[in-house]
Amino acid sequence: MKRHRKTIQYVVLFLVLLIGGYAIGQSMFAKTPVLKAGDRPPEFRLADLEGNVHDSSEYAGKPLIINFWGTFCPPCRAEMPALQKVYDKWKDEGVQLIGINLSEDRLSVQNFIRQVGTDFPILLDKNRQVEKQFGLKQYPTTFFVRPDGTIADMIIGGPLSEDQIEWQVRRLIES
Amino acid sequence: MISNTKCECGHQNPVGTVLCEACGKPLLEELMQDSEAPLEMRYEGAARRSQKANPHLIDRIWNFFSSVKVAVWLIVITLVAASLGTFLPQESTILNLHTYEEFHEYYKSEYGRTGEIFHALGLTRVYDSWWFITLLVMIGTSLVVCSLDRVIPLYRALSKQQVRRHWQFITRQQVAYVGDAPQDREAWLDRFAKELKKKRYKVRRDGDALMAEKDRFSRWGPYINHVGLIIFLLAVLSRSIPGWNIDTYISLDDGETEQIPGTRYYVKSEKFTVEFYTDDELPESMKGKLRPKLFNTKAILYECVEACGDPTREPVLKKVKEHDIRVNHPLEYKGLKLYQYDYTPQVKLISVSPKIVNKETGEEYGPFTLRMRDPDLTYQVGPYTLTLRDKFMEFGGFDAEGRPMSKSREPIAPAFVFIIKGPGLPESGETYIYFPRDIDKVIFQQDVLNKAIADKVEIRVSSMEDVEFSEFTSTLNVRTDRAMPFVWVGASIFLIGVAMGSYWHHRRVWLRFDGDKMALGAHTNKNHIGLRREVSGILARSGLPVPENTLDNRRKSH
Repeated sequence: MKRHRKTIQYVVLFLVLLIGGYAIGQSMFAKTPVLKAGDRPPEFRLADLEGNVHDSSEYAGKPLIINFWGTFCPPCRAEMPALQKVYDKWKDEGVQLIGINLSEDRLSVQNFIRQVGTDFPILLDKNRQVEKQFGLKQYPTTFFVRPDGTIADMIIGGPLSEDQIEWQVRRLIES
Repeated sequence: MISNTKCECGHQNPVGTVLCEACGKPLLEELMQDSEAPLEMRYEGAARRSQKANPHLIDRIWNFFSSVKVAVWLIVITLVAASLGTFLPQESTILNLHTYEEFHEYYKSEYGRTGEIFHALGLTRVYDSWWFITLLVMIGTSLVVCSLDRVIPLYRALSKQQVRRHWQFITRQQVAYVGDAPQDREAWLDRFAKELKKKRYKVRRDGDALMAEKDRFSRWGPYINHVGLIIFLLAVLSRSIPGWNIDTYISLDDGETEQIPGTRYYVKSEKFTVEFYTDDELPESMKGKLRPKLFNTKAILYECVEACGDPTREPVLKKVKEHDIRVNHPLEYKGLKLYQYDYTPQVKLISVSPKIVNKETGEEYGPFTLRMRDPDLTYQVGPYTLTLRDKFMEFGGFDAEGRPMSKSREPIAPAFVFIIKGPGLPESGETYIYFPRDIDKVIFQQDVLNKAIADKVEIRVSSMEDVEFSEFTSTLNVRTDRAMPFVWVGASIFLIGVAMGSYWHHRRVWLRFDGDKMALGAHTNKNHIGLRREVSGILARSGLPVPENTLDNRRKSH
């Protein structure tokens, strides 16, 4: 009977550790919708201007810049050429740059891209789903993601200068 | 084992036993010294399960949670924390704020110094905080451990009760009688037992000793209600399982469809309407002000059946429910609930159905439907071919390079740039800028922009019936709480336990003879007066009238 009692004690305390630990752990590491340096950006699956689907996993292992932009946002428009220049300079080193458009029509996006003459991949968010996952509040927002998939830095607002972007890219490569 | 746990009747009791498990003789020194005082009958005087002579770590943790004193403190602290959390709105109810600093600013500006202190102490995010969850987990543990430690010894003590109890055990009950034994003991006992049975007692006899008992099950009431509470607590904790608890907000214009994040469901607002109180319905002080009386979102819930999550295709939606969402009348579907939360008045165009007029002949063609979001790129209207080249949702801005741009992505002041080909127009077509809103035509001088072509053709809507627009943006609160059924089960079991423990009383009567004396003791855990009345009545009908109040064995000083 004594041995029986001990078993019950261990089982009860083990369950407490398991269930309690899970519940407390969940509350401690509760995900806030706001990303910060060190976090992993949410996964996404979006179409580009040509209609090809891109999955966030295909950028794994590369230094990655994710720029959220819209044609209605003056600083977003202003920083496009700077982004393109840095991209041209570093793409051979494996640096990836993607511009995620803020749920506008393909037509508006295509026209603007033709105007500014950028050729880095543009992905089209739909119904603000990806933007919400990233917890965006201001445009533009640019995420700099290390090859290991963690966010090194995020810059809210703009326009970013070429030097600013380049400095961030060097940090990504050095990490 | 300590030697004094062995009773004179020969039974070996565990450490911490107050009354011998077999015969009921008081075992503790201090109980023996005062041989008159009524006995403490809690848990039948059995030892709490975990009481041990040499506790080690696991036993110490166990003993901590086994203490009712600890349990009471845990409950008190939790209640205080929970009530402090109700003073200011919790962070989770505030939209669009996320970081510590944002909340700090918010509480400071809204509630001043108090707000700042509450926020700093974490009292603006009580219910999801790790320490509150820890308190709940500890209460849960305490419930399980306290119950196990008490219900098992109690069950064992009650299921192997001896009929013949120690003289002191009987005479020191709170309801007790000592008197001369009747002449014919057997005959009297038969009569007494018959009277007890009439009152639904189960009677057991062992020689000339007798024991009667009824409604023992009511003793399990508190433990059943603990089981209910544990289920309740587990249900509350289970809300942290991903997908079990969704609490989010969706803003929809009239006619807009959006996916509910993390689900296969899409919701569409057909039309939001708001009704205001008329002046007759308002008190004097509020007359002339707009007070909303009824908000209503005519909503349709869809389930995605094909191409879900495929960014290159529109999802195929199947309508599953239609409902008018009003305050307190959410749309409910399979545990998903959509509540009316807020609304913002903002006129946005949805679509227009204009006609093309040949200004030279006066002929009209069309109408054709032009959607503001994702419009078709070409239109064939009568002899005219329209190709959409560019569009602006809120025309009127220019960027640093002087290029025209949209001021927002909402169809507030849309502009469309068409290439029109047709009679009287050049082969290659001509550019025509179209502002669906009349006011924008004037502000942006549509005719000036269009120059010569403005004299040849015109795109225009003939009446407001050809314009579809959204007046309001309705914000819905989306919630799922898959833990709710378990909360209800827990609460129901809790109530069953409460009823068992409250409406039935466990009553026991012991009787024995010692020489020519007879001793009767009776015990209940509640309503002693009722028990005395019942025992007095049974004794009277058995030919032994004893007044109710003389059965009261409680000390006058108590």
